[in-house]
Amino acid sequence: MRRRTLIAFGISAVMIIVALVMVFIVCPTEATMGNIQRIFYFHVPVAWNAFFSFFVTFVFGIVYLKTRNPKYDFIAESSAKIGLVFATLILLTGMIWAKPIWGVWWTWDARLTSSLVMWLIYLAYFIIRSYISEEEKKYRFGSIIGIVGFIDIPIVALSIQLAPTTHPKAMIFNDGLHGTMLLTLLLSIAAMFAVYFLFMFLYYDLRTDEYEIARMKKRLLKEND
Amino acid sequence: MNYWKAVFAIAKKDVISELRNREIISSVLLFAVLTLIIFHFAFTADQKTILSLAPGMLWVAFAFSGVLSINRAFISEKEDNCMEGLLASPVSRDAIFLGKAIGSIVFMLIIEIVVFPVFTLLYNVSVINPIVILVTLLATIGFVSIGILFSALAVNTRAREMVLPILFLPTVVPLIIAAVSATSVILDGGKFSDITQYMLIIVAFDIIFVTVPFILFRYIVEE
Amino acid sequence: MDNLGYLFAAYTLIWIGLCVLVFDIMRKQKKNRQEIETLKDKIEK
Repeated sequence: MRRRTLIAFGISAVMIIVALVMVFIVCPTEATMGNIQRIFYFHVPVAWNAFFSFFVTFVFGIVYLKTRNPKYDFIAESSAKIGLVFATLILLTGMIWAKPIWGVWWTWDARLTSSLVMWLIYLAYFIIRSYISEEEKKYRFGSIIGIVGFIDIPIVALSIQLAPTTHPKAMIFNDGLHGTMLLTLLLSIAAMFAVYFLFMFLYYDLRTDEYEIARMKKRLLKEND
Repeated sequence: MNYWKAVFAIAKKDVISELRNREIISSVLLFAVLTLIIFHFAFTADQKTILSLAPGMLWVAFAFSGVLSINRAFISEKEDNCMEGLLASPVSRDAIFLGKAIGSIVFMLIIEIVVFPVFTLLYNVSVINPIVILVTLLATIGFVSIGILFSALAVNTRAREMVLPILFLPTVVPLIIAAVSATSVILDGGKFSDITQYMLIIVAFDIIFVTVPFILFRYIVEE
Repeated sequence: MDNLGYLFAAYTLIWIGLCVLVFDIMRKQKKNRQEIETLKDKIEK
């Protein structure tokens, strides 16, 4: 494990513990929803993180198309992977939160639905990459899907919000967050951010190793011919 | 050759060759009509329910037959090695994109021209309304444009036909939501002013997803 | 109105999931490093 990965691991571990202490011990119980509301402190940062991951995929997709350096696609792909993991966590924690509050595991609520569509787009990103054998083409097409997918997210969210719905809108805090709750949320966001970098280093190193292995194998094959 | 002349030459070539052998359009049209018929067996519903389901039924028919038709846009070029010829010709890549998109819009319009009266006939519910037609036309532009980009991408992968729907359907969710909602409002007796927000979504989608594929298309057909 | 079970489920899901993922990546990384070493030896020969 590289040094930067170890550092990211240490920082994330400390920040997660601090955030967990804040969430479960320091923070007061929310009045209307009770303890279950504590999911909020990780559900929301996870959502922000997923969005941030896809933003990084979008930016590095453009950079790859301009520079054609495989390194940038490794960053884009790693980020999309983290994004997909976090998007999965949003859906799962969202469902766990919905069950006691709304009485059902799934409701076609605007935010849940947008997250589902986002999740589907990036699932397609990985499925399609697996259908391409040529490395260079995989990077190029991956970049294109990463760019289009990210541009689509806000339009999806906007259109879903406009559609007539009989279901309750996500109701967090109408009067805004204050004091300890806000601090806890910010700390959780910071902790999730550290986790993002930890995974980025892990996936990026994994990807460069795989690339290196493929390159060496090719070279060996050539020498044997 | 000037730019727009090239664009229309490509679109014309697709339309003419299609009209000559009717390879795609006949099966796509049959598929669209079959979708409408399957709905009858899937939901046995009274007149009032059909009216509220109509916008959704129309767009499911458009979306699935659209996928079928857009999928073929590059497969024929690939199979007869025409893509190389097209790429070797002195036409810019984005002109090829526009030509292909216009050709596919024409096919999509043919599907819509058939589906609207057939739906009205089969379900005895009139969906033919100038505003509904305007909504459908506007939505078709963005729908086909992003579809053509993904179709060019799909044809260059191992799975080919499998790729387009899994990528295309989640991406066009905004268009389908906006078009279906706008159509519902109008069929319920709403006025044009009641659907401005949906129209804005459709127009925004069109502008964004004509521009973005226009820029990105050249990165797909590089070789 | 406590629903501690759901709360517990959500948090364990997140943290166990992420931990499993970290260990899985590290296992793969170890395997890759070994493969790189053997390949390096082969190339140098």
